Amino acid sequence: MTDRELNRRVFLQRSAAVAAGTAALTTLPAWAGPATAEASPSRRPPLVPDVDVRPAAKADPTEATVAEAITLLRRRSLRATDLVEAHLDRIAKFDSVYQAFNAVTADSARAQARAADRHGSGTLNGIPLCIKDNYYTAGVATTANSFIYESFVPPYDATSVARLKAAGGIVIGKGQMGPLATTRATTPNGTITTVNAWTPGTVSIDPGGSSTGPACSVAGRMATSSIGTQTGGSIVNPSNQQNLTGLKPTMGRTSIYGVIPLSYTRDHSGPLARDALDAAIMMTIMAGPDRNDPRTLGLPAVPDLISSALPVRRHGKVVLRRPTTIGVPPDFLTGVSADVAALRRAFLDTLDAIPGATVVHVGYPADWDLMTGTFNNVRLSERTEPFLPFLKEDPKLFGVSLLSWLQGLFLSGDEWITGQRAKNHLLREVLDGVMSGCDVLLQTGPVPFDILGLPELALPIGFTAIGAEPKVPSGTILGGRPYEEDRLLEVAAAYQAVTSWHTQRPADPTLPSAGAKRTESAAAPAAEPLRLTAEEAATLSA
Amino acid sequence: MAVDPSALTIDQLNTFIASRLVLSGIDLSLLPTAPDPVTGAPTQAQVLSSLRSFVLSNPVVINAWRPSPPAGTADATILSQELSPPLEYPSITEAWTGERTGR
Repeated sequence: MTDRELNRRVFLQRSAAVAAGTAALTTLPAWAGPATAEASPSRRPPLVPDVDVRPAAKADPTEATVAEAITLLRRRSLRATDLVEAHLDRIAKFDSVYQAFNAVTADSARAQARAADRHGSGTLNGIPLCIKDNYYTAGVATTANSFIYESFVPPYDATSVARLKAAGGIVIGKGQMGPLATTRATTPNGTITTVNAWTPGTVSIDPGGSSTGPACSVAGRMATSSIGTQTGGSIVNPSNQQNLTGLKPTMGRTSIYGVIPLSYTRDHSGPLARDALDAAIMMTIMAGPDRNDPRTLGLPAVPDLISSALPVRRHGKVVLRRPTTIGVPPDFLTGVSADVAALRRAFLDTLDAIPGATVVHVGYPADWDLMTGTFNNVRLSERTEPFLPFLKEDPKLFGVSLLSWLQGLFLSGDEWITGQRAKNHLLREVLDGVMSGCDVLLQTGPVPFDILGLPELALPIGFTAIGAEPKVPSGTILGGRPYEEDRLLEVAAAYQAVTSWHTQRPADPTLPSAGAKRTESAAAPAAEPLRLTAEEAATLSA
Repeated sequence: MAVDPSALTIDQLNTFIASRLVLSGIDLSLLPTAPDPVTGAPTQAQVLSSLRSFVLSNPVVINAWRPSPPAGTADATILSQELSPPLEYPSITEAWTGERTGR
């Protein structure tokens, strides 16, 4: 039996042997909520203009962006069945190496593709998507890579999934993830699964987490786009690590109804996509009010994100759609390798050369490290509360991820309230201080804007060498004011119109010989697969 | 006189941790005493060590913070109660209050 095959039944047997005499594990409680997620807000379906399709995408549909695929399908230059089959072919051929999926829904994807070719409609008609495995998918197991959910089959789709499906999107599989959305993707016991699609032979190179599988599926051309979740960088980090454009929206912009919770006040849903336009298309479909998630109600209307993600040219030259000031914090060019610092300098130079962009340097408040450091741990109480019944049942159900769930018990109620006061304090420091002179703030880590629920967009800015790997993606993160995802997309669209990092795809992985084990390095001798320890999982946890 | 959390002994911390777990209905003895590669769950000793570190490094920092009134303000502790009321969802509140939504 491989670690990947470890299931709840085996877990139960093991637990019974280890803790004979303890109370029997119970099953998940019966669900008694509404019958369906709200499929779509009442508004017209978004219009995606035809785009110039690159020759690579014409030759191989797995190269296509969402916008390119929509264009090809609309022109009847491509059939949904061919698009889906091409991705399933790559999954069959390469996912034993990538391990991006923990479930592939091939039969239903093929059936939906045939229906899409016959009478499909919707913006995403026929587009294959990878869904992170913490989104409820009706009738399809949703495990969050945890023993707790090993046999859980949701009775309905998460709102985001329902909206993507209603728009014609085809779920091709569920993406691997860190257990309960904590770390890079591992099995519940910490054994690493998914690799970085750019470095499949070097498992130790970070693929980003916890939306690791969705990122790898798109980078490895096994899905045209994907959705993930973010509590502590889990959309932007894997996007940066695997050369994608990820959009973590403002809290409430997208519903998280039907998403397995990690930290209620910080859980966000959003796309990991191939470029800014794809992120905008996916976000447009996902966004908007959902009566099942009150956090989405009473907020500013969703702007025209798709137009925001289309580059603007004047006299043949790319310009920013609106004049935009981009703030560079003091640590943006420090604390990283010389190679990464050089990429960041080149990124700033490129941005600064785009008419309409102004790059300025900004400072942090004196208590920045405290507010975004220790105060980040205030979130831990939020993960403990919804999972307490399972902690009581058997803490081993949390596998390698247990520690941070227990840590949440050791902050008192008054300390949690102090943490919420600190959020307000930090919000004012960011909006009235750091961002008082800029529209967009470059981020050196995702945590501050995760704490505040502010929008972030990750985008590729080049490649560096790491060890024997000559080409590892490097990215950066733009941060915005509340509900200004459009501003972030405008900047990303202009940058991507004058650069081509986002159009590059990794080489296909070398398939191992029969019986070979995955190792730290392709050149290394056979060894046990890499595992995270419980302490590492707690330290790295989103 | 100020109390000093670092003066707590390992035994005192272990007792506190074990008691808190019991009060929440969590049975530490369900965890293994030796590494368990099948579940990957930490051992009882790992849990106690990790939580000792956590309780010594986090609550004391968080509960020591208060929003600061302007420097030199008399009765700063009292006045700090009026500052930065707690917000669970600061970005949503920003939109609801109409401040700086940019739209």
